[in-house]
Amino acid sequence: MPLILHDLPPIHWAIAGAGIAAVTLALMLLASRRLGLSTGFEDVCSLVLSQPYFRRSAVTDGRGWRLPLLAGLLIGGFVSAATGGGWSPTWALGMLDQTLALGPLGKLAWMFVGGLFIGFGTRLAGGCTSGHGIFGLSNFELPSLITTVSFMAGGILTTQILYRLVLHP
Amino acid sequence: MTIVYVLLGTIFGFVLSRSGAADYDYIQGMFLFERFQLYGIIGTAVALTAPGLWLIKRRGLTLAGRPIKIELKAMHRGNVLGGLLFGIGWSIAGMCPGPILVNIGEGKVYALAALAGALVGAGAFGVFYPALQAPLHMPPLKVGPGEG
Repeated sequence: MPLILHDLPPIHWAIAGAGIAAVTLALMLLASRRLGLSTGFEDVCSLVLSQPYFRRSAVTDGRGWRLPLLAGLLIGGFVSAATGGGWSPTWALGMLDQTLALGPLGKLAWMFVGGLFIGFGTRLAGGCTSGHGIFGLSNFELPSLITTVSFMAGGILTTQILYRLVLHP
Repeated sequence: MTIVYVLLGTIFGFVLSRSGAADYDYIQGMFLFERFQLYGIIGTAVALTAPGLWLIKRRGLTLAGRPIKIELKAMHRGNVLGGLLFGIGWSIAGMCPGPILVNIGEGKVYALAALAGALVGAGAFGVFYPALQAPLHMPPLKVGPGEG
């Protein structure tokens, strides 16, 4: 199955997994940094919010490296599009286009709601796919196993309900 | 060092973009048990990071000779509840936190709304933390000196 992005063929999962491992290990070996992307949401929030939660040392000590890493993710996506057929703004949304066929406003609302769950949920759980799923599991941390099982369950349940019961393509 | 972090992020973002990890259809395919791709990616990443991490911890020092210190994640009721909520969001948006940024970089306009939602969600959590902390058995805040 091609990617939504320019119908490109995806790279092999083993190569992608190795690439993610290489970046995770490089962060640790170079600077003793624990991979964790969703904490970056707090870093951004901490620029404008001043509640005690955003003045924790985990946030104030981390934004100096995490925000550049997040900027890199943006650049990586841009480079991928630019070298894979050219960069241009797009609203293409794969399976959701074939089923719900939302307009631009509908897609923005859909994504905003998804984002609310992601932002609140990852902070409540203390991490996301990277901090718990990749790093935490690799470091044999029990809270990460519990969280990973939970977010996989939440995702499986929601998608199964959405695509097997509600939208039924 | 800043440029190194940007570079590592760029590699990470490129890999997420080209592997399907930042692709709505591949995320749904994972949750529908119809595509192995994402399980293969996460499985390989963990299988390779675990021994590498073990070696780095055994060495105990960064390349520059500073001590390796890994802050462990706390265990509390939020792990399950937050995990479930995040999973719901991952399914709805078809992106987890890193891929939100990757999708924006790729030019997928709607990903901007996912980012806005995630920031509002994270902000709301931080604002309500004092009220959530006790009932969910989460750790008290360790507020750092001055900076924020």
